[in-house]
Amino acid sequence: MHSGQILESILIADCGTVATKMLLLERVETSYRFIAQAEVPTTIGPPWEDVSVGVTYAIEEVEEITSRTLLAGGRLITPRDGLEGVDAFVVILSGTEPLHLVLAGLVKEMSLESARRAATGTYTVVDGVISREGSLRSPEEAWARAVRDLAPDAVLLVGGVDGGASRPVMELADAIALGTSLLPSAERPLLIYAGNVKLRSRITKLLGSLTEVEVVDNVRPAVGTEHLGPAHDLAEQIFLEKRLQKVSGIETLFGWSNFPPLSTATAFGRVVEYLWHREANVGRGVLGIDLGAASTTVMACFDGRLYSSVHGGRGIAYGPLAWVKEHGIAPLQRWLPEEMDEQRLLAFLHNRELYPATVPQEVSELWIEQAVVREMLRSALRIARPAWDIDADTLLYPGMMPYLDPILISGGGIVHLPRPGQALLAVLDGLEPIGITTMLLDVHRVAPALGAVAGIKPLAAASALSPETLVSLGTVISPVGRAAAGDTILSMKIQYDDGSELDVEAHYGELEVWPLLPGQLATVELKPHRRFDVGLGRRGKGGTIQVQGGLLGLVVDARGRPLRLPVDAEKRRKILRRWIWDVGG
Amino acid sequence: MFLPYSVINPLTLIEVERRLPRAGEVLVAEGEMVESFQLVAKTTEQPQFGIVNIARELHLSPQKVKSALKVKVGAQVSAGTILATRGMLGGRVSRAPFDGTITGYGHGRLLLEAPLVEVQLNALLPGRVVRIWAEKGVTVQTYGAFVQGVWGNNKEGYGVLQLAVRAPHQPLRARRLDASMQGAIIVGGTGLDAAVLAQAADMQVGGLIVGGVSAELLPELAAVDFPILITEGIGEIPLSAAAFTLLRDLAGREAVLSARLGTHWKTERPYVAVPMPAESARGVDSAAPLAIGSQVRALRAPLQGKTGVISELPLDKMELETGARLAGAYVDFDGEVDFVPFSNLERIL
Repeated sequence: MHSGQILESILIADCGTVATKMLLLERVETSYRFIAQAEVPTTIGPPWEDVSVGVTYAIEEVEEITSRTLLAGGRLITPRDGLEGVDAFVVILSGTEPLHLVLAGLVKEMSLESARRAATGTYTVVDGVISREGSLRSPEEAWARAVRDLAPDAVLLVGGVDGGASRPVMELADAIALGTSLLPSAERPLLIYAGNVKLRSRITKLLGSLTEVEVVDNVRPAVGTEHLGPAHDLAEQIFLEKRLQKVSGIETLFGWSNFPPLSTATAFGRVVEYLWHREANVGRGVLGIDLGAASTTVMACFDGRLYSSVHGGRGIAYGPLAWVKEHGIAPLQRWLPEEMDEQRLLAFLHNRELYPATVPQEVSELWIEQAVVREMLRSALRIARPAWDIDADTLLYPGMMPYLDPILISGGGIVHLPRPGQALLAVLDGLEPIGITTMLLDVHRVAPALGAVAGIKPLAAASALSPETLVSLGTVISPVGRAAAGDTILSMKIQYDDGSELDVEAHYGELEVWPLLPGQLATVELKPHRRFDVGLGRRGKGGTIQVQGGLLGLVVDARGRPLRLPVDAEKRRKILRRWIWDVGG
Repeated sequence: MFLPYSVINPLTLIEVERRLPRAGEVLVAEGEMVESFQLVAKTTEQPQFGIVNIARELHLSPQKVKSALKVKVGAQVSAGTILATRGMLGGRVSRAPFDGTITGYGHGRLLLEAPLVEVQLNALLPGRVVRIWAEKGVTVQTYGAFVQGVWGNNKEGYGVLQLAVRAPHQPLRARRLDASMQGAIIVGGTGLDAAVLAQAADMQVGGLIVGGVSAELLPELAAVDFPILITEGIGEIPLSAAAFTLLRDLAGREAVLSARLGTHWKTERPYVAVPMPAESARGVDSAAPLAIGSQVRALRAPLQGKTGVISELPLDKMELETGARLAGAYVDFDGEVDFVPFSNLERIL
């Protein structure tokens, strides 16, 4: 099957950690439209232990919605037979166990940091780090013990610039060899070597008799150079082989599809890449965030280059507890607009893990959920951002976000929030974008599915990525600068397309929202205060821009960057309540 | 509507997997009848090991260590055995830090592995072995009452079920635990405290079952050596009416309590089972459609842990206190009817 073939109908199964979504895409004249969507619990885990059970239930729901026959004898009819069945079936998957890794390297801030970023190319969790740093009395024993006791899927060994010193890396390799040899052969980790190029043959010789060894380019070939691509790609390939293709019941789905399954992150990345090309905003990148139950995916595209970062074990349900163990409870508490004791907060996080598919029924639980969203986004960005190779025009303010337009928001963790204002506020607080940004919400959570479709029928994906699919929350202007609370930092004349005008001002410390309906365009004349950059390249520079409306309208986030919350708890809660009120949350 | 489910059932077909922590040997055959305490598989723990850096201890270069060694690879040694020496009287000596076997030598270092410790796996439930997992374990099938929980402290045990509260909303108190409860599996209600744990350990109870516990107590629960089963969730949550009623009816019977939890990705549901001398019973019908009258449990606050029956399945989505509009069901919780979104419900089978 090739992209030129006419595909009248495409069925996409998106199997997440807690939910399996089924989407039916059909050709309507020259474009493609969503005809039906169903969502059921994912059945990878107990009591079902078979991903195809949930997929079959979801297809049955689509049959019910469309009154069409898609299954015959429990099997998907493909290719289409008259009005029955579909022309193509695609599976994307994120709901499986991530790859468990141990990272081994010399310097935490250098090669090990690069290794960590390389590992985030797909669904991985880092179970342990063994490093030359520290003052262990018997480091080789501790390193070997870490490998033996953690028994990861793979050890990623990095370290040493190309042509640099050998001994420290070989000492690590010796200990890894020892730890590996102490495991039964079926449990031995794969060794990925991405360090000093001159040691490749020695490493392969040392470890090759014990386990499988994969060699890729050095992630840090020189002190100031990071080269993640090959290690990234290898991690993705291993995830596909060791996890995705071994999901219980996946062979049933393989039997229905001519296309290899994709990871959800890869599919989502394609959409972000497509948006960058579609929008063609010079000097701006495109950011995609997919916050799921068990992972957070950050996809960024600058100058046509995609940077992918998947944070396994950092989702809205699985991950916050472990995160709290590392960072404490205070970072979550600071986002709550009402007082809440630590025990209640911890109980919430535990129950969220025990029942990952559930939704808040009480407002207080909704606040906690949104606090988790903010911190998971901030945590994922801290790891993802240093890998972005951004030119000076896009990154004007080091330490802050580069100019991004649009930002695509997907995943149940955000999209399930009851009001669009809550989603917007959580994302603004979590990402702290600067300048002028259109916020797109993947309300039906179809973006990854369309990324998968793009691989077989780009036209279908492109035509389905319409404003009905990626709904605009509005245009957000986030000026960069500092002022006293209440100071006017931006004056605007909004000219609506019906000819009416509005003269407005934004005040420091406030979130201001002006009406601009979805699909409506307006011309906005911006006159920022001389100490503020509104996204036009420098402080004080004004200009006229075209903006598009959205569910919220035109938003000015005049709270300053970086965002600072009052230290006093009562003042902080008061201001949080006001911001929630401002965005209609 | 396709919902997840938990089993709270007075008589059903029970199948439990008994898995070794690492590859080992299965000791029974498919079709064999087994007793609770009967061994079904065994393996060994990961051996403890140590690297003895002879070169460093004797101040020798690694190349010269070999001539100083007093033991060979494969030798069994006791703690204190001389492994290598340098010089004559008054010279340096390197000794074995623990009992074990020398399993490797290189770069001036010896690898010493401690003796293997056997890990035994019993059947836990009396019944028939219906599946062998090669080198990993077995599936045992039996009939009886079965109550699944949501959290456990990864211990297992046996005992006679005894109630220590009159109603599921009552907290378990230390003063309710006395010497008559030695070896028993105690059914409490809403939570417990540190005093209960201490008293339960003193009385050597066989296990504890409660609806919920506070998050701060979880580390203490993990540390005790008897099994603890949480049926509803974390927090002050009563045992569900369905679970409490069934466990009350089963008081006085021998029960098996598995509080094994697994991990996020290899989940094991903790449970309490009471094997019955039945010869047949049907397994739960997980494919049965959700309908008016179906028994369900609410999974989130403010109704978390309550069980009831579906009284209405509205076609329209309903608005929650949070502002979310979701599909769901009206559930009759013992006379009080509430709307619960499907995402916060599970079926009780």
